[in-house]
Amino acid sequence: MRVDRLRLFVQSVFFVFLIYGGAVGFDIGNAIPTMVCVYAENKVGQCFLYPFQRYLSVSLSVLLTTMGSMFLTYMITFSLWTLVFNKAWCGWACPLGFLQDLLTKLREALKIHPTRLSWMIRDKYQWVKYALLILLILLPMGIGNSIFGMPTFTENVAVPFCQICPGKPLLPLFTGDMSYIGIDFSSISSVIFSTLSMGILALFLTASFLKRRYLCSYCPMAAMLSLFQKFGFVSLKKDGQKCTRCNNCYHACPMDIREIADDRVRKNMVTQDCMLCMRCVEVCPEKDALRATFLGITIFPSTPEGFLKRQEKINKYYKLDRTDSAENIKCPRK
Amino acid sequence: MSPKIDKKERLKKRLGLHLSMTVQEILDGLKQDPARPAEMDYFDAFFKRFIEPDREIVRSNGKKIIGIYCMSVPEELIYAAGALPVRLCSGSADAAEAGESYLPEVSCPMVKAAAGLSAVDVLPLYQSCDLVVIPATCDWKVKLGEIISEFVPVMMLDLPRIKHLENSRIFWYREILRLKKALEKINRTKITHKRLRGAISTIHAAQVEFNRFRQIRKKDVHVISGRDAIAIMNIYFFDDAPSWTAALTRLNDSLEKRIAERVRVTPKSAPRILLTGSPVVFPNWKIPQLIEETGGALVCDELCTSNRYLGDMVSMDEMQNEDILHSLADRYLLPCTCPIFSDTIDRRNRLLQMIEDYKIEGVVHHILKGCHPYDAELYSIEKELAAKGVSQLKIDTDYNPEDTEQIRTRMEAFIETLKGRRE
Repeated sequence: MRVDRLRLFVQSVFFVFLIYGGAVGFDIGNAIPTMVCVYAENKVGQCFLYPFQRYLSVSLSVLLTTMGSMFLTYMITFSLWTLVFNKAWCGWACPLGFLQDLLTKLREALKIHPTRLSWMIRDKYQWVKYALLILLILLPMGIGNSIFGMPTFTENVAVPFCQICPGKPLLPLFTGDMSYIGIDFSSISSVIFSTLSMGILALFLTASFLKRRYLCSYCPMAAMLSLFQKFGFVSLKKDGQKCTRCNNCYHACPMDIREIADDRVRKNMVTQDCMLCMRCVEVCPEKDALRATFLGITIFPSTPEGFLKRQEKINKYYKLDRTDSAENIKCPRK
Repeated sequence: MSPKIDKKERLKKRLGLHLSMTVQEILDGLKQDPARPAEMDYFDAFFKRFIEPDREIVRSNGKKIIGIYCMSVPEELIYAAGALPVRLCSGSADAAEAGESYLPEVSCPMVKAAAGLSAVDVLPLYQSCDLVVIPATCDWKVKLGEIISEFVPVMMLDLPRIKHLENSRIFWYREILRLKKALEKINRTKITHKRLRGAISTIHAAQVEFNRFRQIRKKDVHVISGRDAIAIMNIYFFDDAPSWTAALTRLNDSLEKRIAERVRVTPKSAPRILLTGSPVVFPNWKIPQLIEETGGALVCDELCTSNRYLGDMVSMDEMQNEDILHSLADRYLLPCTCPIFSDTIDRRNRLLQMIEDYKIEGVVHHILKGCHPYDAELYSIEKELAAKGVSQLKIDTDYNPEDTEQIRTRMEAFIETLKGRRE
């Protein structure tokens, strides 16, 4: 509960800052590696993906010459943000991730059992986020450039990913803007995109309710961030020899990453789906088997004491006192 | 005409007599050990019950007794059902002799002893269990269930051998559900979420205390003999977890005092030994005793009847019962380093980590005759450890005390080699 509580707190602070911060004059740029939706009125900056798609829709010759320095600054800013915080953006800042975590909290409160995908299904669809990333690069590029001599696309596909991202209908809601909900009949492409968008929104609300962080496994931003997973300053390290494979970490992982328990060779455990929520470190009862590090310095190691402290807090939370322990369980009538 | 004694009666009388003699000999030996902490008395009291007239080892206070074999049956479930788990793995050479007619010659003495004690009415515990749960681990345990079902109610659990597969995990989870249902039926109760959490907390408390005991053994000052460490765990088999934990707390306190006063049970020069391999159970303490009699310090073991038993703690994450049961099932399948599983990586890692943590100088592989899994795994384990420069000794033996002197000679040579290697 410790890390979860802290994370929930940080997430809500970020949520308020990212969605409403613009109203009081904050601006943190246009290369934020998390879903600060541009459609939300009082946003504090811009989600990296929106300007990215916009830049790419300009013809390559213009992008690399007149807009070159601007594009370069933009890409470097993004790289720095990502290099320092790595996947922690997903676990600790992303507003969409936060909303999914709230849905999980709701499910837990309603005592509905969590769903787990089978390994086969999970492995089968891991390519989706990369496919989305490639699409959101290629489609805008087709506007300003002719790919393999094909005719160029129209402006309708300028920011394709934003049209289907669940952030577009969802996040503006928090500033009272409901205009992105419903199907837009103004053109054929908008009908297609808004229908897709509504479908994905429905998926977001139902699937993420049943399975923790369901949509994060398909997020192209996660694919983008995972390019930096090896070099990120914040990192997750594992000592395979200390691991006893009790699988506690796998059970705690919202993303169902089974390598965290099963892989005893790899040292850097930040994988494509990892969001550095640090739950695995917290539930690990082996000393130093898992460590969260910053530039190689351990900031949060796994310890048996930490494990027990967490269990105690959970017991307290569920109102389990000493009288429930096994010594006091009455034997049934013979 | 002399009164004709029934064959069964004769067997019972003979086994009873022999068992008493063996146990008495061990108890006499313990008395002569001046270095033993007084807190061991609590544990010794259980061994004394083996030779008391009624031989009632377990006092369950009206709770149902669930007998278990191996280390893959979740005790938390049994406690949550309001019953008492009792591990029945036995180390009696006399019982093994009595059980010889039930199993083939090549089978291991542990199953022979289990069959012997279940068939011959000497220790009432073996026949009064309300249920005996046997995980189908090695080939002998697979067959044991059917053999002893003549004498006690038995439930077999099917343990998957390739543990890293998803199928294995799902399968084993369903086996755990089946066990839960059976326990609920026997105890006429429901294993609720709250009770399960309570039972897990109880086992956590035992695990925490046992972990403290492990940390004490890691220290440079060798304050408790390896035999006593194995004895403590052997008593956990028969005792109620909370009272065992309390006794271990008292012992740990006294041991910590000993560390401060630097009271050693072996000389400072004794090489630090790790014992691994086939189970060592009371009253078969031949190997640990030999290691320490010949001048070694048995500071660590990787035995399913000792150090391996109270290892990994189950995490309780979500509030639903199913989720805890999933954690519980995984806890009893995945970290287990029993050689019946297809891969050796877990056991190898565990051994290497122990060698580091306990500053081990030599490893003793204990292979019981007929305990094929350990024998089969030895090649790869020996090779891996040798590559890291670890000295090893392999001992093929039995519960039978006949080969004691031969092993003593080999052990002496091994310890001398270890000492010689230091220079």
